[in-house]
Amino acid sequence: MEYGYVNARVKGMKSRLLTTHELNDLTNKPDLDAFISALEDTAYREELQKAGIEFSGLERIEVALRRDLIRAFQKVLSLFAGEREEIYIRIILNRWDIQNIKTLLRGKKINAPTNEIRDCLVPAGDLDMAALLELSKQPDIRGIIDLLATWRIDYSRPLTRNLPAYLDSRDLSVLELPLDRYYYEHALSLLDNPEIYDQQIILEMITTEIDITNIRTLLRILRERMHGDEIRDFLIDGGRYLSIERLFDLASLGNMEDVVKELSTTPYGFLGDIQPECISAGRISVMERELERFMIEKGCKNFLREPLSIAIPVAYIWAKQNEVTNLRIIAHSIIGDVPETEMRRALSYV
Amino acid sequence: MEQIHPTRMELIRIKTQIKRAEQGKDLLRQKMDALIAEFFQIMRGVSESRKMLEKVDEAARHSLHLAHAVDDSVALKSAALATRSGILLDISGKNIMGVPVPVIEKRRFSKTTFERGYGILGVSGRIDEVADHFEAELDLIIELAETETALRRLGEEIQKNRRRVNALEQIMIPELKKQAKFIKIAIEEREREDLYRLKKMKKIIERKKVIEPEGW
Repeated sequence: MEYGYVNARVKGMKSRLLTTHELNDLTNKPDLDAFISALEDTAYREELQKAGIEFSGLERIEVALRRDLIRAFQKVLSLFAGEREEIYIRIILNRWDIQNIKTLLRGKKINAPTNEIRDCLVPAGDLDMAALLELSKQPDIRGIIDLLATWRIDYSRPLTRNLPAYLDSRDLSVLELPLDRYYYEHALSLLDNPEIYDQQIILEMITTEIDITNIRTLLRILRERMHGDEIRDFLIDGGRYLSIERLFDLASLGNMEDVVKELSTTPYGFLGDIQPECISAGRISVMERELERFMIEKGCKNFLREPLSIAIPVAYIWAKQNEVTNLRIIAHSIIGDVPETEMRRALSYV
Repeated sequence: MEQIHPTRMELIRIKTQIKRAEQGKDLLRQKMDALIAEFFQIMRGVSESRKMLEKVDEAARHSLHLAHAVDDSVALKSAALATRSGILLDISGKNIMGVPVPVIEKRRFSKTTFERGYGILGVSGRIDEVADHFEAELDLIIELAETETALRRLGEEIQKNRRRVNALEQIMIPELKKQAKFIKIAIEEREREDLYRLKKMKKIIERKKVIEPEGW
């Protein structure tokens, strides 16, 4: 693939990302109106104006940010249209499909109105809004899974397999867990040649993400004092540094403090820098934010790798997502009068 | 006052009414004292629970804010779709000094991460924390609903009783006493008039006897 042109376009998109200085300026805005008018001087102007027709205040910002994120990701995907490397971008963006399918299943389980389900969908992946709306019109969960199977969407496989178990238990986690697991298994199966540099990059990101997901799950398992073999159901194989056996050993330690101590020999040793009170109190959200920050930094570091590779679009996707999260945090902090120090702690600068 | 018949029967009736009103007033006062004691006993527990509720609510709102900001409202709403369900509670009743108060079945709605109905891999710990806090708040609200309703009803009953006692003490008993006094005065007046009339009659008869001698 000719990366020269595509990555030049992506780098052009990157240049429109907000700098640390611009982000700092936004954190100093006294109210939401000032924040919106400052944001209108950036690349978010168009989406903010469009969203302003239907929404106001915080909702306007949230909708505009979400739409801008979708547009950016779809643009990146369109740059790879028809190319062999398109699959790498799809692997990354498919997480939104998973999220959307889960939302549809959750909505159908409680017979939520279609418009309520529609408001919770983010068509940033393979399934566009038209497809998602068609899925949302299905009468029940079985209808959604059948339609996905008819469209030959890969994610229908774990759902079809586990549908009878769901119909017996009516517990959605019976469908959601295999779906999440399938996402990673499917991604790993597509990355079958680690000698290709592009695949190495994606593989590194996916396997690190599996580690992060497993650590998050492990912390929750410890908090809920879950023991035995059932832990295995919640762990995903294929992590970069933490194998299933290692995770089992960590789970057997029985408390978060020891797990964090044990992780000090891995790249996730930064968890040891978290205040011990947070760990002993089981504040998973604090640890989770640090893990997310690690993942964002890892994603964005791809900008420094081979310029004529998939590394640049991957880095852009992570940087864009981080920017949108940062802007949302600032907007919510302005509304909620959150102290500046606390706001800055929640932000991720890359 | 004009409508009152100043008769002895009426006086007896009013005196009985006064006696009953005073007895009623004493009983109501006793009931009020008992209700106030009960009210303060419940209030001590409620104020502690209220403080706890405010604390839990603050933590819940803070975690909701954080989850909205970091995870996006869409992810939060999606998780909420999975956990949405109705709440069924058994409500019976009991009497405190004749005041019906509800008794709400003590049930806990706090769930573990694995019981909420969503797969934990795709939902962040922040959203879990939001659910934890709001479930704890719901438990406290249900607990408080029983005691606060009891407190409100006891308060209303105390006020009602106070109004009744005041009405008896300040209006009804003084009015009855006034009526009794009026009747008493009227009867005495009438007795005096009768006596005077009798004396007058006696005088007339005696005078007539003097003017018309025997055998006239």
